[in-house]
Amino acid sequence: MSDVRLVGIKKSFGENVIVRGVDLDVTPGEFLVMVGPSGCGKTTLLRIIAGLEQADSGDIVIGGKNMNEVPPRERDVGMVFQSYALYPHMTVKENMAFGLELRKVPRPEIESRVAEAARMLELGPLLDRKPKALSGGQRQRVAMGRVIVRRPQLFLFDEPLSNLDTALRVQMRGELARLHRALGVTMIYVTHDQVEAMTLATRVAVFNKGVLQQLGAPLELYNRPTNAFVAQFLGSPSMNLIDAKRDGAKFVGAGFTLPAVGDTSGEVKLGLRPQDLRVASEGPLRGEVEAVERLGFDGYAFLKTAAGSIAARFEGADVQVGQNVAVQPMGDVLHIFSADGAKALRHPEARGA
Amino acid sequence: MFISHLAFADAPVLKLWHGYRGGEEQAIEQAAKQFTALTGTQVELLAVPYDALSSKLTSAIPHDAGPDVFIFAHERLRQFHRMKIVAPSGNGLDRSKYLKPSVDALELDGVLYGYPLSIKCLALFMRGDRGLTAPTTTAELENALTERRQNQFTLAYEAGDFYFHAPILFGFGGVLFDEKGRAQFDTPAMTKSLNWVKSLQDRKLMPQEVSGALVKTLFNENRAPFVITGPWFTGEIDGVPYSIHPLPTVSETGLPMAPFLGVEAAFVSSRTQQPELAQAFAKFLSLGDATIIRVTLGRQIPAELAAYDNEAVAKDPMISAFRTVAERATPTPNTLEMARVWEPMKLALRAVLQGGVSPADAGQLAERRYRALNREAPPTTTPVPWIIGLSIGLVTFGGWQLRQGKGKTFAKRYPEAGRGLLYVAPAATGLFVLVIIPFVIGLSLSLFHHDAGEYTFVGFANFADILTSKGYRITEPLSFYFTLVVTLAWTLANVVLHVSIGLFLAILLKDPLLKLRGVYRVLLIVPWAVPNYITALMWKGMFHQQFGAINAILGHLGIEPVSWFTQWSTSFAANVITNTWLGFPFMMVVSLGALQSIPTDLYEAAEVDGASKWTQFRRITLPLLKPALLPAVILGSVWTFNMFNIIYLVSGGEPGGGTDILVSEAFRWAFQRNEQYGFAAAYSVLIFFVLFAWSQVTKRLSGEESA
Repeated sequence: MSDVRLVGIKKSFGENVIVRGVDLDVTPGEFLVMVGPSGCGKTTLLRIIAGLEQADSGDIVIGGKNMNEVPPRERDVGMVFQSYALYPHMTVKENMAFGLELRKVPRPEIESRVAEAARMLELGPLLDRKPKALSGGQRQRVAMGRVIVRRPQLFLFDEPLSNLDTALRVQMRGELARLHRALGVTMIYVTHDQVEAMTLATRVAVFNKGVLQQLGAPLELYNRPTNAFVAQFLGSPSMNLIDAKRDGAKFVGAGFTLPAVGDTSGEVKLGLRPQDLRVASEGPLRGEVEAVERLGFDGYAFLKTAAGSIAARFEGADVQVGQNVAVQPMGDVLHIFSADGAKALRHPEARGA
Repeated sequence: MFISHLAFADAPVLKLWHGYRGGEEQAIEQAAKQFTALTGTQVELLAVPYDALSSKLTSAIPHDAGPDVFIFAHERLRQFHRMKIVAPSGNGLDRSKYLKPSVDALELDGVLYGYPLSIKCLALFMRGDRGLTAPTTTAELENALTERRQNQFTLAYEAGDFYFHAPILFGFGGVLFDEKGRAQFDTPAMTKSLNWVKSLQDRKLMPQEVSGALVKTLFNENRAPFVITGPWFTGEIDGVPYSIHPLPTVSETGLPMAPFLGVEAAFVSSRTQQPELAQAFAKFLSLGDATIIRVTLGRQIPAELAAYDNEAVAKDPMISAFRTVAERATPTPNTLEMARVWEPMKLALRAVLQGGVSPADAGQLAERRYRALNREAPPTTTPVPWIIGLSIGLVTFGGWQLRQGKGKTFAKRYPEAGRGLLYVAPAATGLFVLVIIPFVIGLSLSLFHHDAGEYTFVGFANFADILTSKGYRITEPLSFYFTLVVTLAWTLANVVLHVSIGLFLAILLKDPLLKLRGVYRVLLIVPWAVPNYITALMWKGMFHQQFGAINAILGHLGIEPVSWFTQWSTSFAANVITNTWLGFPFMMVVSLGALQSIPTDLYEAAEVDGASKWTQFRRITLPLLKPALLPAVILGSVWTFNMFNIIYLVSGGEPGGGTDILVSEAFRWAFQRNEQYGFAAAYSVLIFFVLFAWSQVTKRLSGEESA
């Protein structure tokens, strides 16, 4: 268990700047999820932590030790790859024992650690199979087992669940969370799936275009996003953003007016989470239903309004595509961002951090 | 019109085959034109490379596909006679018109064959600008130069060749054949003559390892005022004054050194359709104007006496000198036994000159080699039990086949046999003609003994002789086991080098960041794309002791030049280096393909797992390459096992056949050692069994892999 500190990490491949100066502190025992759209530099950052890539500048400190020049095998990290990277010519057991053999761990110790990991991951009956005889989920577990047996001070995950089907993904998510609780070790996890980020993380780091946008607990990010990008990235469906202008006690936009809150002035972006809007017969915003996502009793309607596309929740009501409906905010739900979306100006008060 | 057409169709055409090139070829063409002008008979000339001429003649003439007249040296006359391809010259030949030894050479059991054209023999060439007098004895020769600087010699000649050593042997009173006509090697004269030659070399009167090219250099650069060589040498002298003398007398015995006299003659084929015309043509070539053309244009030493009276010829000092020299010469015996002398003699000479064997033991060495090469025909056995056995086998097999199909007609068992056979036919025909027939013939041939066109059935005797190493020790290069060990070492060394170099380069080339990767890749595949005999000849040239690039480089590095083909180890290494050059690109291409199919994240995973680069190579790369490399290694090992071209062209089996592998040895038994086809076939069958066993091993190996 150890802390990780990144100071001013920069990395580019040729002309392509991938990471533009990232500072990040990971506290011991934390489950940090790095999330962002593809190409945001999160995987590169993970590989820099692992030592598989060299940063152009900046420092990587793990457990208080500068690791800039330390090769991966001496960093005492374990990594689970997106493709699992299991050794195809070795059995499950050999795959898991490989790292221990290289570290000259005595044979009985290897046996017991492998057995323990196999029990934890329910791999017992599969130990003598080769990877090609395993299903995706089983391979995934072997890849984790390979890291677990080594007991590294830091676990790194590179989109480990992205090759699994949804049901398995949900199940594995649960297992990962359980694993983190059981081992209590520091884990850094890269994903582009905000659901994984929200469910697994103790803290989430949101990246965009090689820049760390916001770092914090999942709910903090959800409730108090620091800018429009974070606001939109977390939550599903993503937050509605509409342009508006303060006009006295009102926000006026294309085809709507809303009562103003806070002390902003001039042009702003208004953020409204779909969960905070209800489809209604009357309301400040009006539009034609373009699509409906029905989840059961409730669901989301996607409207085309004069101010742009708006998603809103509905319950029970019979919403049809082509209907002309209105949406109604449910109380004090307005997020306000600067007009370019770079800065949050106000969050609903009920959602203090 | 009709008549003239007929006449044209019937106009006689004579075919002449010869092995001449350059001036000699021009001369013979001109002479043939003269003959046409004189008689109206067209002559078709065909120049065949000299090495191939004999075998072409012996195979073409019996099938009526050969020439009417052919030109060849008289040494093969006995063989031609036994194969019945040469016709006697009858009364056409007037003995008195030719040099006596040249006619003697064409006599077989009192009958004369062919017409002598020219003679060749060795003489002593002396530089004319050193104020020397021609030595008449060996003692005078040895003391001719009182002062010599380093790298200067008195005498140079190709001492490693028996053709050059024969006059010395005769000078010491040596006799080649005993009363029964069998070659003898282990004689006092042999020892004495070798002692003398060795002492010349030891006293530095004569350089080591002399080749024809070296003789030329030494003479032209004034580093050896005396050389023993033949008439062909005049063309290689760079305007240096010289004179030609008979070989000296051996002081110890008082006997003259009598060189071999080679007589080139125009022979008439026994199968010619126009015997009279052919005789007339052959005779025409040997006399009168034709001789003068051959002498003036082709620089030949004429066999015809009258030619020496010709004004132009008499003025030529070389030609008149050779007439005197030739009077001392003895015609090379045209017996079959003579053909068997060369290889053992050469072996003994080289062994002595290279210092491996003392002159006293060399005779025995040659004797052993002679006995091995000219194995007595194994006792003839009757093939009847074999035929009976084979018949029983076939009948049993047939019966078993029939029983299998009991109660069913063939058509019922295989309802679509007709169509199926049609589909299979093209491949089956190819397989049958190209594989099965030669295989069966080779298999049967191994049960026969061949001697001069006659096959006798000997059963397993060939195999028994090979496997018991009859006639030579197991540790001698002629032994099957010795050759097998060499072959295995050869195969192993090559495959290991091919794979390791190929893999190494593939790893370098795999790096996607390498600049000009495509260029390197193409360059490295080039050795593979060049036909391998061309590569082999290039390397052969580079390994040349004097003029080769490799010794030149070693020389610049201050390392003594290596005589590559006189020691087993360096000769073997030269072969291996050449074949490695040829073989690594294949392994590189295979490895490169396999390497690129290994995902890079495996290496990253291993890196994180704690593996060093070497461990990654050993634990990840190698095991994952195995499925692709194993078949390539199996294939490569079989190719190398039978890589005839390299052995034959680079080391040629030197020294003493030590670097020959099984295939090249089989080749030598068939084509260089009295045409022992049966013995060679038995060798091939054994090769087949060795490779068959290997294929069984590899089948198991690759079976384990896929399991």
